[in-house]
This record gives sequence, structure tokens and C-alpha cells, in this order.
Amino acid sequence: MKAIEVHHLSKRYGAVEALKDVSFEVEKGEIFGLIGPDGAGKTTLFRILCTLLKPDGGTATVDGFDTVRQMNAIRSRVGYMPGRFSLYQDLTVEENLRFFATLFGTTVEEGYESVRAIYSQIERFKDRRAGALSGGMKQKLALSCALIHQPSVLVLDEPTTGVDPVSRKELWEMLTSLRERGLTIIASTPYLDEVRCCERVAFLDHGEIRGIGTPGEILTTFADIFNPAGLSPLTSRQKSEENVIEVEHLVKAFGAFHAVDDISFSVRRGEIFGFLGANGAGKTTAMHMLTGLNQPTSGKGRVAGFDISTEYEQIKRHIGYMSQRFSLYEDLTVSENIRLFAGIYGMKDEEIRRKTDEMLAQLRFSDHKNDLVRSLPLGWKQKLAFSVSIFHEPEVVFLDEPTGGVDPATRRQFWELIREATKRGITVFVTTHYMDEAEYCDRISIMVDGRISAIGTPDELKERFHLPDMDSVFTYLARQATRSSD
Amino acid sequence: MTIKYLLQKEFLQIIRNPFLPKLIIVFPIMIMCVIPWVMNMEVKNIVVRVVDQDHSSYSQQLVHRLEASRYFRFAGCSATYEEALSEIRRGHTDVALLIPSGYHRDLQRGEHPQLFIAANAVNGTKGAMGNAYLTSIVSEDPANPLPSLQQKASTLVLYNKHQDYKLFMVPALLALVMLLMTGFLPTLNIVGEKEAGTIEQINVTPVSKGAFILAKLIPYWLIAFFVATVCLLLAKALYGLSSVGSVAWIYLLAMLLALFVSSFGLTISNFSSNMQQAVFVMWFFIVFLMLLSGLFTPVRSMPMWAYATTYINPMHYFIDAIRTVYIRGGGFREIYPHLIALSLLGSTMSLCAVTTYRKNE
Repeated sequence: MKAIEVHHLSKRYGAVEALKDVSFEVEKGEIFGLIGPDGAGKTTLFRILCTLLKPDGGTATVDGFDTVRQMNAIRSRVGYMPGRFSLYQDLTVEENLRFFATLFGTTVEEGYESVRAIYSQIERFKDRRAGALSGGMKQKLALSCALIHQPSVLVLDEPTTGVDPVSRKELWEMLTSLRERGLTIIASTPYLDEVRCCERVAFLDHGEIRGIGTPGEILTTFADIFNPAGLSPLTSRQKSEENVIEVEHLVKAFGAFHAVDDISFSVRRGEIFGFLGANGAGKTTAMHMLTGLNQPTSGKGRVAGFDISTEYEQIKRHIGYMSQRFSLYEDLTVSENIRLFAGIYGMKDEEIRRKTDEMLAQLRFSDHKNDLVRSLPLGWKQKLAFSVSIFHEPEVVFLDEPTGGVDPATRRQFWELIREATKRGITVFVTTHYMDEAEYCDRISIMVDGRISAIGTPDELKERFHLPDMDSVFTYLARQATRSSD
Repeated sequence: MTIKYLLQKEFLQIIRNPFLPKLIIVFPIMIMCVIPWVMNMEVKNIVVRVVDQDHSSYSQQLVHRLEASRYFRFAGCSATYEEALSEIRRGHTDVALLIPSGYHRDLQRGEHPQLFIAANAVNGTKGAMGNAYLTSIVSEDPANPLPSLQQKASTLVLYNKHQDYKLFMVPALLALVMLLMTGFLPTLNIVGEKEAGTIEQINVTPVSKGAFILAKLIPYWLIAFFVATVCLLLAKALYGLSSVGSVAWIYLLAMLLALFVSSFGLTISNFSSNMQQAVFVMWFFIVFLMLLSGLFTPVRSMPMWAYATTYINPMHYFIDAIRTVYIRGGGFREIYPHLIALSLLGSTMSLCAVTTYRKNE
């Protein structure tokens, strides 16, 4: 008997065919990856396996039980971790775990052995509210909650989106140790290094399985999608020695906690500056001070020639910003969003109209001018949000994790846009958790525990730490963090 | 002229909302169609019992007059006073009237015999009104006026000549609809942008705080204008009521109230971190604004400390002024203190909404 058997599964939502004749099998104790772009049908498939949705056609069995007729048997055998954290933000760590244990008719004590390896890492914070945990810790807690009833199959729907590389590695180390205990794991992920941790993967696209095989086979067969050729190095760019961002001894304290603890750096005009750090290292707080959303506790900073403590409203005239959370109005159309933000920056109607057409033509997006932003795929929203943030030709654009959760091909297109922007003389200040993107930056800083622990070009950093790639450099530095990643 | 773009955005968002436009239209209509029928302080259908120990033709007439009255429901006669009292105790009767034996005879002799009324005053108003109505019926004997009970003063009813409660309520309902519509919608607005994350994008732009808040207030003025129109038209169509004074004053008052209430809503929204919190805080204040305004109960009968709060309660000025205009036909001379007070409160609150909106923390 296989752990999961899926035969000719199909599911429609109105006119949209989410799954078309999907069949595959997963062996007991296997780590099976499900990969594919947004809207491929991954979440639908997971929800059917977890008996949360009924298929329109075909059958699926989990642990030998049918997902339609034997729901209850499956529910006690499956642990499900949905993409967005399923925790109760207002309950403490321990209360969350206790609650999920009770849901499955078991107790924390009974299931403790099975979660000990993971839960012991966060147990010292058991009285903290789940909402106050960092991304990596939330993920560990969510995993503990999904495992507390000792399931035999674990379903993970993009468990690591928005989580830093170190925490991601830790999660996959845990998953590997779980498999050794005989647990079957089926997971989806947009990260290639995680795909390689699976034994077999299925590539799902537009509701159809395009291929099943080892990660190596699938990633080679569909290399154009998963492994697009890296961007060629930028050469013909005039480097300027002028600093557009200058920061000295910047501190932001929340009570006794120093989120940003005395950082100093500068960014040159026209540069792509990568601002890296683990979840909770203080990147977003630092960025908020530079963009005038937050006041520094002490220290000095100038952006585009204006002081961040006193002239923050002038700074806002000269910068663009794309926040971590999606930043366009979902209930406005593409052109209405452009018009709104351009209007706020004081552009004239005529100019807005002309530039909108130009920009959409360049993005090859003119047909969707009057579509509601809500209806666009995530990758498009992000490209659009970026284009809107540089529409008024700012001197610097700040991008806070602009490519979270999108597939490699779309990320590559996004970075082409970033390069286009630098050609126009716009300085790019970007945070990311993707280390392949870090390699595209001119210079990088890595933040650990609120301080900058390394700064330089990617090559300089690799050389300094004698490590082969940025991923290793980052992991090396981030593991030195002492503060409890919050 | 960034305000133009901001306004466009606000209107598009309200129109595209799958729920708000329906609410804005249906809510005032529902209130105006239903509430005037049920919100009625007139006391009717008081259940009355008579203990007739007189058994005269006069006492018979009295009973007939009770039966004919639209205020009373005659529940029958009881043999004894105790029996009538026990009916009251069981809640079957509101008022008992005792006609002592020899009442008619004593009356004819020119003596001053007394009737006895026992009223259940759990609902104070109902008890008192029952008592008053009954007294007036007893004394209203055209053939045989009771000298002792004859009215000593004559009353001239001013303004609401037919003492129609609906005429009293319609302006109050308009106030109520305005309070709820222009209060809750803005409360949900900014905090909604916080939840969606779009506020952060706005905060890093050079948009001025004043323009941003003004663009949020203007749609609510229009909604207030619309709501007021719907209420006035429905009052005319359904109840044949129309304003005695100029409608222009009513609109001006509505705009001023909307300025206060929506600024207040935005202020709460500025302080809230999620919608639940915002709505409950707003609800808390709305209840106070409403019940301390004289909407349902006269403010002068409130204790002094409660009455003192009405000086800063815009609802109180609004209710008082709109009733002055709508029922009494007052104009600028009668309502200018209200207009001044509302303008002051409204502009203070809108300043508050602008200053508490933080683009930088």
C-alpha cells in the first residue's frame, strides 16, 4: 500500500479548471515535492488530500483511506500546515500546542516525544504570544502543532515563504529527521534548494502534471522555468562616488530592545545595494527609518541629501518604496493605481497618461490596463508594484522582499526590471531571502542581531570568509546570531 | 492638486465595494420604513378593570366611555377591589378603577365623592399615563362636569398640533441614520488600509496629511447628503410629513454633523490596529452620543452632571436644531447657537483626525 494514491483527480471552480486528470503515488516514508507556478493547483490538491475539499472526479487515498468516504480516518492521520501560519496569534506558544493536541483528542504529554526535537527549540518561549514570534519560530511552532497528534502523513503548503535561509535550512533538516521515523511528507516550495531536498518531485502546471521524477530530472527537463540562466553581469554602468544614502550610528530601540543597534553604512548613487539579514535582524525597521516611516532613537542618516530625523517629508518626494506586504490597491485597476500614485507625486494628467502607456507597453501588459489588480497573478502584481514605485523617477527605490513567494522565472524577470531602473540612474536598496538574488547586487550588507556584521561586494565577502557562494556566507554569519531571532 | 486623485480613489473604492453601496441605500430606507411605526412613546392599549360598587347608570356610562377610548382596552369588571388588585399582580391588568357605592348619589347631592385608581407603575410612563388618561376620561363628562377635576388651565398646543409622535421622531431618525452611516464607515476606512498594508505605501509618499484626510471626509459628506435626502423624501412619501422650516438648514446641519462624526470615526481608525477594535470603540461612543443627546429622552430631565455633557455633544445640538427647523419652522435666528457649536466641534474633531494620523512614528 502506498502512502498517497491519486487517480485521475479533477476539480473546477466555475470556469477555472484547477486540477485536470492528476495521478501520482507517494511511497511510505518518502519526501515528495510538488512544484509549479502560482495558481498551478497545488493548494487545491493539498486541500483535497486533507479532506477539506471534495474532488469533482477521480479518487485519492491517503494511508489507504478514501478522502471522500473515510474523511475521519484521514483527519487523524494527516498533519496539515497551510501556507499562511495557522496559529492563534493571541494564544501563547504552549496554549497553541495544547489546543491542537485537544483538537485531535490527544494531550501534549502523549505526543511530546514526536515533537520534542522541534518544540524544545522554542519551549523556552512557551509563555510568549504566538503573534510575537519571529517567522522562523512561528514555523517551528506550526510544525509542532501539525505533528502533535503523531500523524503518518505530513502535508506542507509552502511552509517557508518569507522565511530566511537559515530557518529554512533548519526546517528541512527537521523534515529529513522526521522521514527517518517513517513519516511521509508531501510539500510544495518555490525554493530550488528545497526542491533538491525531496526524493521525487511532481511539476504541476495549470492543473496538469507535466512531469514526475527526481529533482535533478525535473529541474533539467524544465530548466527554462526553474533554472533560468543567470543574468549576465552588468558592465557598462557609470559608477558614481556620490553617496545617496549615508547612515551613521543609527539606533532604533523599542524599550530595552535594540531592533537596530548602531549601524553605519553608505550607498552610492546608481548602485544595487542588497540589505540582507535573517528574519527579525532589524532590516525592515532600518528601512522604515530611511523611508521616513519611523523615527530613529539616535544616530544620523541622510537620504537623497535630506536628514531622516527632520526632513523626512522631503525624503518622501525623492524615493520610491515597495513594501513587503503587497502595496497596490487591489480594488483599483492597473491604470487607476498608476494614476493615483503618480498624482500624489504631483505629475500632470497628460504626462501620467503618456507614461502609463509607455510603461505598460514595455511590460507587455497593455491589454490588462483596465483589469482589477486583485485579478492578476502574484508575479504580475509585484512587477507592477515595482514599476509604480519608480514611476515618478525617484532617486532611490526601497524594495522590501519584493520577490517573496514567486517562481524563479518570474523572479528573473523582476530582476531585469531592477536593472532597467538602474540604467536610468535609480539607486536600488533591496532586501531579499533569495541568495541567488544577492549575487546580482553590486554591494551587500548582512545584518545580524541589529548590527551590520559584513559589508562589501559579493565577491569580496566570499573571499573574506573563504566560502563558495553567498548562501554559505549568509548561513555562516546568521548562525552567529545570539538573540532569539525575534 | 493631489486631492483630485485621492478623491477619485476613495469613490472608486466605495463603488467597487461589493457591500457598501447597497448598505448606503438600503439602511436609511429600512430605518424610515420601519422605525416610525414602532418607536412610539404614546401609551395605548392600557388594560383597565373596573370595580363598580355603585351600579348606577352613571357608573355604566363611565364604563362605556372607557370602552370607547382608544387608549384603553376594557378587560371587564371585577366584583371586589382585591380581585382587581390580584389581576394587576398577575400582570393581566395595568390600571384598576374603583367606583365606590353611592358615588352617583353623592355626586348629585353636590358632595365630593372620590374615585380610586390603582395603577401598575413598573413601567413608570405607562402607569402615569394610564392614570392621567383615566382621570381625564372621568372628568370629561359633558353632562355632569366634575368641578373638582375640571381643568384649571387651558392648553394651547404649539407646533406639533396633532401631537403626532412620528413628526417628533422623523428628525431624530434622520440623526440616527446619519450617526451610524457617517460614523461607522470612516471608522473602518483607515484601519482597513492598515490591514491591507496599503497605508504604508501612502505613508512613504509626500502626500500631505490634510489632503489625505480631507479626501476621506468628502465622500462621507456626500453620503450624508444622500442619506438626508432619502430620509426627507421618505418622510413625505410614507407619512406625509415635511419640514416646516427651510430644507437648506437641515442640509447644513447634516453636513456639520457629518463633519464631526466622520472625523471622529477617522480619529478612532487612526488609533486602532484592527477593525474589531475600531468598531467596538466606535460603538461605545455612539451609544453615549445617542443616549445623551435628547434623541429619545428630554435632556433637561437628566441629572445635572449628565446634562453638562450635552454641551460637548454634537448630537444634542443637532437634534435640538433639526427639531426646531423641521417641526417649528425655525430659521437662522433660532439655530445660530447650534450652528456655531456644531462648527466648532466639527472643526476641532477634523483637526484631531489630521493630527492623529501619523505618517512617521
